[in-house]
Amino acid sequence: MKRRLFAVALALSMVVGLVAGCGGKEKEETKKEPEKQEEVDTSNVSDEDKFGGTLTIALASIASNIDPIMYTGVYEGQIIENIADTLIVYDNAVTDFEPSLATEWTANEAGDEYTFTLRDDVYFQPGKYQEGRKMTAEDVKYSLERSHNESALARLTMLDHCEVIDDTHVKCVLESPNASFLAALTNSGNVIVPKEEVEGWGDEFGAHLVGTGPFMMAENGWKTDQGVDLVKFDKFWGGDIYLDGLNFVYITEVNQRVNALKNGEVDIAYDLTGEGIEEIKADSNLKMIQEAGMGVNYIYFNMANGPTADIKVREALQTAVDREAMVSALYQYGEGQVGYLALPPNSWGYDESLIDIVPKYDVEKAKKLLAEAGYADGFELEYYTGDSATSKKIGEIFQQFCAQIGVTVNIHQAAWGTFSEIGASGNADVISMSWTWYPDPYFYLNKMFHEESLGTLGNGQQFNIPEVNELLDEAVAVSDQNERAELYKQALKLITEQYAQIDYSVANVNVGMSSKVMDFPVRPDKTIEVADGVTNNTWLAK
Amino acid sequence: MLKMILKRIFQLIPVLLITMSITFVITRVLPGNPAVSILGPQASAEDIEKMEEEMGLHDPLPVQYVHYIGGLLTGDLGTSYRYHRPVAGLILEKLPNTLQLAMTSLVIALLIGVPVGILSAVKQYSIFDYVAMITALVGVSMPTFWLGLMLVLVFSVNLGWFPTMGMATLADGFGAVVSHLFLPALCLSFGSMANFARISRSSMLEVVNQDYMKAVRAKGIRESVVIMKHGFKNALPPIVTVLGMRIASLMTGAIMIETIFSWPGIGRLIVEAINNNDFELIQGAVLFMAVLYVGVNLIVDIAYLYINPKVSYESERRAG
Repeated sequence: MKRRLFAVALALSMVVGLVAGCGGKEKEETKKEPEKQEEVDTSNVSDEDKFGGTLTIALASIASNIDPIMYTGVYEGQIIENIADTLIVYDNAVTDFEPSLATEWTANEAGDEYTFTLRDDVYFQPGKYQEGRKMTAEDVKYSLERSHNESALARLTMLDHCEVIDDTHVKCVLESPNASFLAALTNSGNVIVPKEEVEGWGDEFGAHLVGTGPFMMAENGWKTDQGVDLVKFDKFWGGDIYLDGLNFVYITEVNQRVNALKNGEVDIAYDLTGEGIEEIKADSNLKMIQEAGMGVNYIYFNMANGPTADIKVREALQTAVDREAMVSALYQYGEGQVGYLALPPNSWGYDESLIDIVPKYDVEKAKKLLAEAGYADGFELEYYTGDSATSKKIGEIFQQFCAQIGVTVNIHQAAWGTFSEIGASGNADVISMSWTWYPDPYFYLNKMFHEESLGTLGNGQQFNIPEVNELLDEAVAVSDQNERAELYKQALKLITEQYAQIDYSVANVNVGMSSKVMDFPVRPDKTIEVADGVTNNTWLAK
Repeated sequence: MLKMILKRIFQLIPVLLITMSITFVITRVLPGNPAVSILGPQASAEDIEKMEEEMGLHDPLPVQYVHYIGGLLTGDLGTSYRYHRPVAGLILEKLPNTLQLAMTSLVIALLIGVPVGILSAVKQYSIFDYVAMITALVGVSMPTFWLGLMLVLVFSVNLGWFPTMGMATLADGFGAVVSHLFLPALCLSFGSMANFARISRSSMLEVVNQDYMKAVRAKGIRESVVIMKHGFKNALPPIVTVLGMRIASLMTGAIMIETIFSWPGIGRLIVEAINNNDFELIQGAVLFMAVLYVGVNLIVDIAYLYINPKVSYESERRAG
């Protein structure tokens, strides 16, 4: 009898698995209409009730090293910025600079010297090699020069050296006038760290980061491959923050991030895509936030070799693609929105009026343009992209559009390292990728369209127009932002007129969170500023 | 016998040397630049150049190879570019986690698979036999990835019985360890469980119908003793072979499970290393897995000699 029971149980467990698979689908169908997210009324929560609790955030990638000069991924920066501080930061909308460790800053007339006034009440977190001493201008000099000399990603190339004026004043001298310096300073690679800890830990500093931020590494807090545990730093200059701790966990599989969120194991999950977004919207205990991000997705054409070297051909290809249809097919769950230009709309160099220059979808016109260029019978294009499913889908949609005008597109998918080598070499006809960085247009336009970037993946299309180079050079040497914006708009106009790339979408920042999480800013640049001593102070509702 | 074992060990050296060399060549020859993979899209040409220099990628391939072999001879598996830590240290740190998962799965698979197989053989062509063998067939053919997601959906998300991911240590309490371990271990054990059930059944079937079993029964010995003592013991060798193979494949099979359940083991380490073209880590981990694989097989071969003295490698050699 018992044996039979066991067999039945075993068979049953199989059936449950199968049914669960089908059941899940049914549920999604009935829940197609997402309910409106209602904001919880928190006006009667006293300040005292906001204290306590540990916030757990799921990141989509594994942070391998959080030494500010060694880190290379966005997600690593997301951890660093909660432990250590930069001199200045971007506000939550990522448009203006806000004070952080520096209260004031001024540039000289030439724009090649910046002087910072530092806060006088900043302490380092205690570590193995110092007991939590006061931060001074010497530390700023040390950290910034270290970044300039050693950073894996050359995050502060424009700096020449720093001079300590007194304990609370430091002057940064640049190699040449460079207005992107302030934007670069906000990068997590340029946080201020104590020399003793850096030198004491050596290569292991990346697992024992010490800074001046609201959270410090917990004892044995660095768990390779699993996550990082942080605890509140009591002597944080920004005052008493609400949370007791902040944990990051790495969950690389997107469905599992959704599951962990639904199960209450994590409070916030980043980088969500697909059906999980609907599930979160439908769950009354969760909220889904989708804000326009800083990432532009595009397909760029080789301007030096092959048929796309002809501007008429590029215009024809642009005219053959229906951006709106492409985006709605790609992002069924609102992961992104239609884009038209090489800058994200929330960058201050963006100029909406330029959208008029972008060719409208018109198959007949596209065919005519191709015929004029001498390709009435079409041609073949070698299209290169990354190895994700989305990359493939983008390629297939593009392939369909091109087929309408007789152009054959051969899709090649490759892992990141291979793909970027092909892209940077300038040998690919078409490359599909995305770009994201600081809101300063310098980090988009100079990196994608300046002669200096030839040979890098940013400018794999071989874009090299002398007028554009001049405008970009001028824009970075001027320190007035309005003047710069004007120059970048001029450059962006020239760039758009070259039809060099189909900028089809702007990625959203897709974050799911428990409805208990309060005052957590979801920022367009994906930085995580749980508490910053100025505007943000996240708390957990009980 | 000792001579034979030593001989077997010496035979492993070329196997490992070839594995190591192939891994080395493949990681180098395949297109893709590890410096680019690590630095990401925004790296400038100089950043990449600097990183390549640091990684020793500018040296000619034979020089790199000699460096690598030289390192191995002194017990140095190299340094992971991505983690900036010694490869050996990373592997040793992750090994207990993978072992915990793999061994728990093995125990689950043995405890369920073998008895089911024996019962199926004893009750051949009964309902139990049919249900068990169909289930085992499904178990062998089911993709672990799908199974893992389903288990999480049912038991974690819908029922809320188990956590969806991660691993707990004893510091979190024994209960936490078990609850974190349960789903991934169960999921990982499914294929092996089915395998054990099938091999136990066929091996038992061969034994139960033999004449000596009838003779034993005729002596009036209790059926359970007949089955276990006289039957099972003789049916054991093929099961041990499968056991050895399963240990190795459970270790490697953990790669998928570790990714699904965010289990911090060697599998996850390898997947990440491959994603990032972290050469030294890939090489080290593959070599480690190879050593493990051949090591387990060696132990199985030796164990074989004890449980089944009929097997003699000498005679095998002569026959071959």
